[in-house]
Amino acid sequence: MDKRESMWDLYLKKGMSRRSFVKGCVALTSLMGLGMDQVSRVVEAAEKKPLPVVVWIHGHECTGCDESFIRSGAPLASDLVLSQIALEYDHLLSAASGEPFEAHLEETIQKYKGQYILCVEGAACTKDNGVYCMSGGHTFTHTLRHAAENAAAVIAYGTCAVSGGIQAAKPNPTGSSGIAHFAGKTPVVHVPGCPPIPEVMTGVVMHVALFGTVPPLDGEGRPKQFYGNRIHDTCYRRPFFDAGMFAESYDDAGSKAGWCLYKLGCRGPETYNSCGNLRWFQGMSYPIQSGAPCIGCSNAHFWDEGAMSERLPKFAPPIGDVDKIGAGLAAVTAVGVAAHAAASVVQKKKRIADEKKNEGAGE
Amino acid sequence: MKHVVVDPITRIEGHLRVEVQVDEGSGKVTDALSSGTAWRGLELVMKDRDPRDAWAYIQRICGVCTTAHALGSVRAVEDALGITIPKNANYIRNIMAATLTVQDHLVHFYHLHALDWVSPVEALAADPIATANLQNTALNAYKLPFRAPGASVTEAFEHDFPAATPQYFEQIKNKVKAIVESGQLGIFSANWWDHPDYKLLPPEVHLMAIAHYLEMLDKQRELVTPHVIFGGKNPHPHYVVGGMPCAISMDDGNAPINTARLDIVDRAINMGRSLVNNYYLPDLLAVGAAYVKAGRVDGGGMAKERVLGYGAYPIEPAAGTTNGAFFKNLLVRCNGVVEDFGKGLGAAKVYEIDAEDVQDPKVFTEGVEHSWYEYPEKGEQDRNPWDGITAPKYTGPKEGSATEWKALNENGKYSWLKTPKWRGKLCEVGPLARYIIIYTKAKKGMLGDLTWAEQMMMDQIGAVSKVLNLAPEVWLPTMVGRTAARALDCQLAAEINKFFFDKLVANIKSGDTKVASSEKWDPSTWPKECKGVGLYEAPRGALSHYITIKDGKTDNYQCIVPTTWNACPRDDKAGHGAYEMAMMDTAVKIPDKPLEIVKVIRSFDPCMACATHMFNAKGEKINVITTDPYSGTHVEK
Repeated sequence: MDKRESMWDLYLKKGMSRRSFVKGCVALTSLMGLGMDQVSRVVEAAEKKPLPVVVWIHGHECTGCDESFIRSGAPLASDLVLSQIALEYDHLLSAASGEPFEAHLEETIQKYKGQYILCVEGAACTKDNGVYCMSGGHTFTHTLRHAAENAAAVIAYGTCAVSGGIQAAKPNPTGSSGIAHFAGKTPVVHVPGCPPIPEVMTGVVMHVALFGTVPPLDGEGRPKQFYGNRIHDTCYRRPFFDAGMFAESYDDAGSKAGWCLYKLGCRGPETYNSCGNLRWFQGMSYPIQSGAPCIGCSNAHFWDEGAMSERLPKFAPPIGDVDKIGAGLAAVTAVGVAAHAAASVVQKKKRIADEKKNEGAGE
Repeated sequence: MKHVVVDPITRIEGHLRVEVQVDEGSGKVTDALSSGTAWRGLELVMKDRDPRDAWAYIQRICGVCTTAHALGSVRAVEDALGITIPKNANYIRNIMAATLTVQDHLVHFYHLHALDWVSPVEALAADPIATANLQNTALNAYKLPFRAPGASVTEAFEHDFPAATPQYFEQIKNKVKAIVESGQLGIFSANWWDHPDYKLLPPEVHLMAIAHYLEMLDKQRELVTPHVIFGGKNPHPHYVVGGMPCAISMDDGNAPINTARLDIVDRAINMGRSLVNNYYLPDLLAVGAAYVKAGRVDGGGMAKERVLGYGAYPIEPAAGTTNGAFFKNLLVRCNGVVEDFGKGLGAAKVYEIDAEDVQDPKVFTEGVEHSWYEYPEKGEQDRNPWDGITAPKYTGPKEGSATEWKALNENGKYSWLKTPKWRGKLCEVGPLARYIIIYTKAKKGMLGDLTWAEQMMMDQIGAVSKVLNLAPEVWLPTMVGRTAARALDCQLAAEINKFFFDKLVANIKSGDTKVASSEKWDPSTWPKECKGVGLYEAPRGALSHYITIKDGKTDNYQCIVPTTWNACPRDDKAGHGAYEMAMMDTAVKIPDKPLEIVKVIRSFDPCMACATHMFNAKGEKINVITTDPYSGTHVEK
């Protein structure tokens, strides 16, 4: 009973062929953004690694991340939850409630100490000892600290768990923050987004499950395979930016023609996410494709970066007049692109300046 | 007398705790307490934001009923600024709303509620051949044949039909067996599977429902593709004040909306109709009929005394809420309050709700007697949303400490929800309320000619009354009735989806591709100060958003949310809220395993993140937390 099963064991039990097992591994390889030369490693991992135990806890949140998770197209939610992981604790899907459910959490933590994956959705509420977020009669931060310290890895799902999210926006009434500093020495994977893309969410948990390690991360703890590119650089409307063709208002001729939304406030140039390459619902769309400027929801403090309809560099315009970035003016375009890289730096400086100003005012 | 605590209640949105006093001899619940145990303060975050961005912030109240608060918000802002949205935008928003309702109800029934009725353990005793036969019987006996009249037919046949073969059910049974035998029960761990309620249904019903649980887990994602097409993603699709961002063009290959994109929407709409007709309704009626036959017509509580609705689906763009246009143009005119429905149609009283009511400071108020907030004046007078006060006052539990609770204080403050009131009284909201209001208004001749949707609601109620062999006054205000009304609402929303899709196509065909109105986009065109209200019948019931705009910024933002109505703490004058009354109207067989309690609570489809909020104070100083989001929060160990 204590022995956990590998994916291959499960395929055997289901009477499925080796061929379908390998096919499943190929699909997983591409899902995780790995090259096909990695298939053999995935097959090896799926044969040997036990079925991972996953515990999922909720802080200050809206359950949108949970909902995104079950929207995953590959793997499907049913396959993932019932065959590829053992989801032992989750407020959204678990059958049990109350005392037996809380006892089961503790049993799971003890039984799989150092082995289970902890998924955290929502921010940590810190004000007044965290009394604004209670569950099971305890503060969320109490449960978080206990569950995180005993986990093999923590996955912080969504911008709330990564950096506090909407409830941490000014004036942050409940003192909410990201969850990483409650994790002790346990490695934390940051999966920002409001919510993150479904297949990014399932892809991260499958990587940890199959390879027994967190995926390669960037300097901010984000999986490089999903957060390595700016939306702007992978956007299918990028050619219109380069050609200086912009929608000037909602529903104008440029909007209808699908031109660049830069002038409507699009945050694609400042945002690292997979919306441009993976897109939502397996390539179906993403906000820009549906005519809506990116709001930068995977950026740490995007709620406090001014009106969404305004360009970020309004405060210190580094890009210059985008109208001059005209068709065929390659040199000007190059300046525009270089200025782009500067935009996020400028923005950060402006943010820090704002923070200092506000802190001063608050005292 | 036994004190029973259930915390957390799972398979809901957010953090909810209930406590009940159970008489062990009779199983009667003598007192019940419902507590929202988390508060995020999102209305405070709204202060000074650009009103054109409000939808994005306030949508993050909830990711389960995603879109609901965005829609309430854009309606409130447009009402304040005097913007009438284009026809296409109205149709698209209605499609997004109906899409949410279809998907949300289906997920609630199968993934949040079903495991209160059926068990994988019981399914192991099922005979796959008998289950296949049962599936056929259920499809014949329990299919409700209602459709929007004159709707376009865009599918050759229904593509989504339940399998009814022994081999299929054998496979599902083997999967369940493998999970149970592995000892790693995952999401099925630690529930009260030995509760006698699970014996109310034959094993074959359990196996059929578990199979559909799995099927719907895979299918639900495909139902929300209209959000992905029109709003770019789901959860949390994008909106724009003045209409929708998804420009329409049949002349541009790169347009957000063209024929290929609309075909994806139509496919999802067709699928929704099939899933509710072939899975949801037959399953619901098979389970519900068995419960009613076993005499389970309890759990109604507040539904028998008072229900409230605002009305749903503007057929054409409404030129505002506060000027009354919204109420004159509805496909489902459930705006109103019905009292004493449980005493029969003759005794039931109807009160209309109109534009004046939603603005009258005496009609809608909120109290904080038992909420962890305080008002400055003595006696804690109820306050109207327009001048709500922000002052949290956490008092901790009755037993235990501030951070480790044993029992909450029913005589003092015990919840982060306020207590909303209509003319000083508490109400229940939701699909059940909508059906009770339409039924009562129609029977009393208050609606004149019924819209097709209202007629469909009457036909649905008639058909279910036949199946259950009970009058609507008897079966509707019960726990089963609340769950059944949600399924009927799902079927209605699936048809409404088709209705508005057809209108959208016809309007584009007429040459109108306008989807957003930009005339008042620039804040320089706005009045110095203005107020607006946005109303919406969300999946969980009546939702209202209130905004005050001053100098181009959000000065005050408030919502009265369905789950706040239903899950609110008691009021010393007005009595218990709907959750508490429903629990007190429910018998508990085994106090240590209060399955009946969690079942009746889940029949409301709780959404706690929506419910817990507080209002922005006028001129009150808001404390700025010194937590530095850039350098990180310091945590004392």
